[in-house]
Parts: sequence; structure tokens; C-alpha cells
Amino acid sequence: MIVRITSGITGFDELTVPGDDLGFALGGIPENTITLLYGPVGVGKSLFCHSFTYEGLSTDEPCLYLTTDQNFSTIYHNMEDLGFSLQEYMEGNMLQVIDASSNGEKMEDSPTHQSSHVKNPTDILVKVSRGINSVSQNNPRFRGVVDSITAILESNDEMLIMRVLKSYILRVKEAGGTAIITHTQGSADPRTEIIIKSMADNIIKVDGETLVIESMKGLGQKKAPYEITEEGLILGKEE
Amino acid sequence: MSMVETGIPGLDELLSLNDGEGFPQNTTTLVYGPPKVGKSIFSYQFAYHGLDLKEPCLYITTDDGIKQLTQNMMDFGWFLQGFIDEELLYVIDSISSLSGVRVENTATYASSKINDPTDLMVKVGLGTRFVFKKSNEFRSVFDSLTTPFVFNPEPMVVRFLKTYLRRLKEAGATVLVNYTEGVASPGTERILKSIVDNVIMLDGSYMTFKSSYDLMGTAKYDITDQGIVLGEGEIL
Amino acid sequence: MKKTHIPKLDDFLGGGIPEGSSVLFYADPGVECEAFGYQTLQSRLEEGDHGFIFTNVTEPSSILYEFEKFGWDLEKEMEDGQAFFVDGSSYFIGVPVMGKYSIEDYSQIEKVVHTAITDVPEGVGVINNLSALIDYLDPGETVGIIKKWNKAARENKTILLYIFTEWDYETDLIDEIKDSMDCLVNLSTIEERVIIGQGFMVTGATWTTPSSSMVLFNILRPGGVKIFIPKILVTGPYNAGKSSFVKNIAPNSVSVDKMALGQVPTTVAMDIGHMEHKGFVADVFGTPGQERFDLILDLLSKEAVGAFILVDSTDPHTFPRAKEMIKKCKAEAIPKVIVANKQDLPNSLTPDEIRKAMRIDSSIPIIPVSILKNEGIDEAIDALLEILYR
Repeated sequence: MIVRITSGITGFDELTVPGDDLGFALGGIPENTITLLYGPVGVGKSLFCHSFTYEGLSTDEPCLYLTTDQNFSTIYHNMEDLGFSLQEYMEGNMLQVIDASSNGEKMEDSPTHQSSHVKNPTDILVKVSRGINSVSQNNPRFRGVVDSITAILESNDEMLIMRVLKSYILRVKEAGGTAIITHTQGSADPRTEIIIKSMADNIIKVDGETLVIESMKGLGQKKAPYEITEEGLILGKEE
Repeated sequence: MSMVETGIPGLDELLSLNDGEGFPQNTTTLVYGPPKVGKSIFSYQFAYHGLDLKEPCLYITTDDGIKQLTQNMMDFGWFLQGFIDEELLYVIDSISSLSGVRVENTATYASSKINDPTDLMVKVGLGTRFVFKKSNEFRSVFDSLTTPFVFNPEPMVVRFLKTYLRRLKEAGATVLVNYTEGVASPGTERILKSIVDNVIMLDGSYMTFKSSYDLMGTAKYDITDQGIVLGEGEIL
Repeated sequence: MKKTHIPKLDDFLGGGIPEGSSVLFYADPGVECEAFGYQTLQSRLEEGDHGFIFTNVTEPSSILYEFEKFGWDLEKEMEDGQAFFVDGSSYFIGVPVMGKYSIEDYSQIEKVVHTAITDVPEGVGVINNLSALIDYLDPGETVGIIKKWNKAARENKTILLYIFTEWDYETDLIDEIKDSMDCLVNLSTIEERVIIGQGFMVTGATWTTPSSSMVLFNILRPGGVKIFIPKILVTGPYNAGKSSFVKNIAPNSVSVDKMALGQVPTTVAMDIGHMEHKGFVADVFGTPGQERFDLILDLLSKEAVGAFILVDSTDPHTFPRAKEMIKKCKAEAIPKVIVANKQDLPNSLTPDEIRKAMRIDSSIPIIPVSILKNEGIDEAIDALLEILYR
């Protein structure tokens, strides 16, 4: 039996209910898996991650958030705009952020918020590993976000990043976490992109109009139209 | 030539058509295709079915550690603990050490390092001897070549694979090796296909089997919650 | 002369390794080779030398753990400044580097290791391992780099120990590598369908004529390289001539009634002796019957490398019994030779006839022998050695 966790994205859980059941199974993202979310720039991948994170936080699942494009300040305000308030979760040590972006002003380092840099993957891995230990200490489940792997690939030897990604994936799974990794398709070597797909358990493609679940544990392929709204992504009925 | 039951409903029957022998014993087979088409599931099914028939299995896992592997198989209702207790399943885990996890080695579990093919081959040698003593007819699975290609130069992975195939074949095993198309360069892919006896191609809808003695068969397949099932097929 | 303190190795090397020499430990894939480098380093550190380990296959923390398992405290030796790492592995898997020097680009390797060599004059450097280097460097670069390192080692009187797994590289490359070394030590597998043992042999040294013997070894944790004298079993149906065979090949053999093999004291009637044949040394165990044979096989399985199965060439009734024993050896992956005894008698079957009658495949040698007349015995032993050292 495959256990799923609620995604936080409107319409997604309904789309991912496994078809052959007696109606007891719930949809969502399979627990303890890695999901690759890929597509062009600006189609809502970060929004997806925001909703996924907040869904976890509001159901007592801590989150380890690695951001490489948006700095944390931006994320904080974007999530506020969506109606998600992060303040209490940060105070409660439920949200751990690693800000590896290279733009804007950085917030001060604190136990739940650290900075790193995409050009220093070893440092990212060290901080992420510590972060995983920290969030999983008192929690049997947690959520992880890597938004995005693209920025890290662009600044380093791609194969080195694949190794770092593998380490990350192993640690998340070992600690009972469920993670989403975003990527801008076509920006890395085709071989690297195949490797990323190979390492992930589930693959979701978004293009601005349609969300396609290309592969998901316990599910066949699924497709649905979606919109980006002020409340985040909203999926329509399955096509 | 004697045959081996794969445990994939429809496959053995397909290969037995036209005076074929079924899935050939003591041969090496490359299972390849794009990501997420069911290659690992194929190996789990193959290994598990053998265990069910009391055929020991030497399972080398490189993408997932032992815990994850056990969990993955449980998702299909394939439980390994009994076979582990009976010492029919010998696992070489070359990836758990990367996350700093130290799982204790036992009589039937050895850990190795994904970027140290020398050590991996030592463990393969020990595991092969152990399994061989259990039964001179056994199976071996190498799941998969992806992570080795990520952590080692391509020529090294090929050298390792050649030695692994030679050793396991000599010991009498029926061997399955998984490979995700596109992970290695085209030249290396050609070499991979040339050093095995048979190839099985999965593309998401169709499974195609090609053996070194020119038997070729193809069939539709599905991934169900009980594993891979073949549909209508034909010998070409 | 610097001793390695690896049993038998110093003898084969004519006392030890001269300062400034380069030693290549080249191994068949599947043989545990790094222990040779590590144990030599440990021995030298214990005698006050300085040393380093260049690693490109595993992180320094794993190596420290390996040393711990062997029972050696490398960590302390590092803290005392006696030994250090050149970390050529961590950076490439995204892990923080550790050690006096680290490599973040393969173009740095030559220079950094060169510096390490000059840091330990009259000391030891371990290169683990050379196989991993070849693919990361440009073709042809490897040999050039090795020569530069060996030159620096000679000048600084530093001993360099190279660990090399001999995968199927181009023969020319392997020859060039070997030619640039002062000493060659071959680590090979003993195989009978599966690897049943490993042995080492010095195949070349610029300062001495090495002994041409191979010694079988195991790697023990704790302990390191431990050599062992292989065990040869002599078995067969009743009255096939086992005792006579054992007495012939192991002249000082004794008959034993009670012994403890491993933990278990057991009542076993056996002939035990020691044999030497053309440089090959082994302990011989003659077993009286099937049940005992199983027991001995279990107890000695790690060190049993061969079996002689005696059959009475005149008595086909005993063949099925012999066949059972052959099957048992096959299952245990023990190389075997069938000794067809009593060839001096008129009604004896020829080896071919025996092979047909027993339905044995051609891979198992059947040697015609007459122990009474002392004929064929050397050929039987040669046949077993041929299988072992093939």
C-alpha cells in the first residue's frame, strides 16, 4: 500500500487518487519519495513548492527549503501574498532555510536560516545534511524542497552536482522525508537530465497550461490543465 | 540449453514459442530503456521469483540502499526477510555508505563504496563464492549502472562490468544488468550491448527481447501493483 | 632496507625494501590489495618513519576507519604529525576535504603528490590507487607522472607503494607502468569457478632476485595480511589407497585419532602430514570416509585449496561413492584431481574408461597412478597445481 501525503496544491490530490481502489485511497505525493518538477521558466514551479511547503507546515511536518534563485526575503513575502504566514513556523523551528541565491540582500544567519552559495556545492551539502538531521530529529516525516537544481548545475561541473544530488536524495530518504526538486528543462546536458530523471521517483512536467504526471509511484500517467492564481496553482479536471 | 523461470507472467511462454527454450540459463542480459519504464521492477521480480524457487540470488544494488530496496519490493508484496533468514539472498550495497549510514555487515550483507570498483569487486568475489556454495545454479542482478556511471569514469565502469560478467558467468549464474539509456555516451552504450548475451528493451509500452542466438520476441507490458505483466506478444 | 613486516614478503624481497624504491602491488580484480600498502605504511610508522596516503577512491575518514578495523591507530599517528593524507577523493563527491593536502582538480595531482613525497624523506608514500588515476588523466600522462614521482622518491629516499588493480587495460600501458617500477608484487586469485583464495608473489625487484614462490593469504580484521599454508584433502572410497597416498606425498605424516579442529574437539581417524613439491607447500589431510570428509571440509573451507580423490581402478562398484565426494568438492568450489590408483593390476580400467563409467566431465583430470610402484604421483600433484595456478 502506497502512503501519500497531501500536496497542498488545489486539485492535485484529486488527480492522483489511484484508480483501481475501493475508494479508500487518498491522492497526493507518495511519502518518502523524490519528485522532479520540471518545465520552462515562469510556469509556477516555485509556487508549487511554496504550497507544498505550507501544506506540510500546517500539518506539523517540518520543511527543509533550499533556494537558489529567489532569496529568502522574496520567498517570505511571496508566501505572505498567498496567504501563508511563515513567522510562527520559523519561531517554532519547523522551517529551515538554506539560501544559496546570489542576489538581493541576505537575512542574518540564524539556527533556522543559513546562507550558502550555488558556487559552493560542498558547503550546500554540509548545511543541507545538518538541516536534515535537525528537522528529522523529532519528526518521523518532513518535507524537502530544492528550488532549483538548475542554478547549481549552471555554476559547477554537472557530474559533481549529480553526486551531491545523490547524497541529498539518500539522506532525505534515509530520514523519512519527501522532497521536490525543480529544474528548468533544457538548461543542462541531456545526459545530466536523464540522470536526474533516473534518480527521482516521480516526474511531473509543467508548461504553463498543463500539468503532466509522467511517472508516479503507484499511478499511471495523468494530465490536467492548471492556472496560476493569487492563491497559487489550481488544477482543473483530469484530461 | 536449459531455461530459467523469470517470474514475469507471459515472458517465459513467449520465449518458448517456436521451439525456443524460454529464458536461457547461465547467460547475461542487459535490461535497458529510458528512466521510469520498469527496469528495476523487472529485476526485483526476477530475483524474487528465483528466491521463491529456492534459487539463491547475489543482488548488487547501487541506486538504492538495502533499506530502500527492501521497501521498494514490499510495495509489490515481495517480502525479503524470510529469504534473508534462509541465507538465499546475498546483498552487496554499494551506496548506503555515501550517506554516512553504517549498516553492519552480516553473512549475507556486505557494504561497499560506489566510487571504489576495486572494493566492489572484492565483495562480488566473496558474495559469489558464498552463493555458489548454496547452489551451483543461482541468479545475479546488478541494479543499476546509473550510479556507477555518475561516480566513476565510463571506461572504468565498463572494465568493472566485463569482469563482473565473466566471473558470474563462470560461476554458473544467470545475470541481469540494468542500464538507463542516455546515461553513458553512445560509444559506451554500444559496448554494453555487445558484452552481454541477451538484451531486453523496455520503452514504457513494449518489451523486446533479443538473444545472442537470434531469437527475438516482443510484447506489450504493463506495470501493475503485482509487478510487470506481459500482454499480447509475438516472436519475430 | 626497510621492512614491511608482512609475513614472508620481506624474505621474498631479500630483507625488505631499499630506501627510495617504488613498489607496484598489482592485483587481479577481486583481490584485496590495499592492505599491503596500509600494512607496510603502518610498520614503517611504528618504526618512526613518516608517511602519507594519497587516496582517490575513498575519503580519508573511511581509511581511518579501515585502519581501526585492522587494529592500527592511524588517527593518532596523524595527530602526532607522523602521517598525513593527500585527499584526492572528497572534493569530487561533494564532501569537505580532509588532510594536509587536497585535490580539487586532476591537473593538480602531479604537483601535490610530488610535494608530499618531498615532505617525507626516508619515509613512505602510499598511492591508492593507480587504476583510478588512469581514466582521470589523459592517455599517456599516467606513465610520465609515475616516472616523475619515482624520480622524486629516489632523490628523497622515500619509498612509494602503488596499489593497482589490473583491470583490462592495454597491455602496452601495463608494461610501461611495470617497467617504471623498482619492484613488482603480484596479487592473484586462485579460482575454481569462483575465487577460492588469493596469493602474492614478488615477480621482479631491481635489488634482488626474488623467490619464485607464491604464498596464499587472507586479510584479517584485526590483523592485516596473514599467510596460510593451504590444506589439501585426500579422500576416496574404502581401500582406494588414501593412507598410502598421503604417506607417499607427505612422508612424515601421522595418524591421528582425536583432534580439535577449530572449536570442536572431535574423534576423527585421519592421516595428517606436510608436503613440499617444487616450491609448493601444503598440509595434507587424509580422511577416511564421507561423513568425516564433510566435517573436515566445513572446518577447513577457508583454507582448503584442493582435493585428491583416490579411486581403485579395479573396482567399479566403488565409483558411485567416489562420485559423491567429487560432487561435494564441486559444490564447495574445491579444485580436484582424481587419482586412479592400482594401475599396476591387470584388471585396472584406464582413465578414459573410468571417466566414462563415472560420467565425469573433461574438466576434472584423472591421473593414472600406482602407489605401490611409485608411479604417476608427481603427475597427480602437478595436475592439481596446474589448476591452482592457471
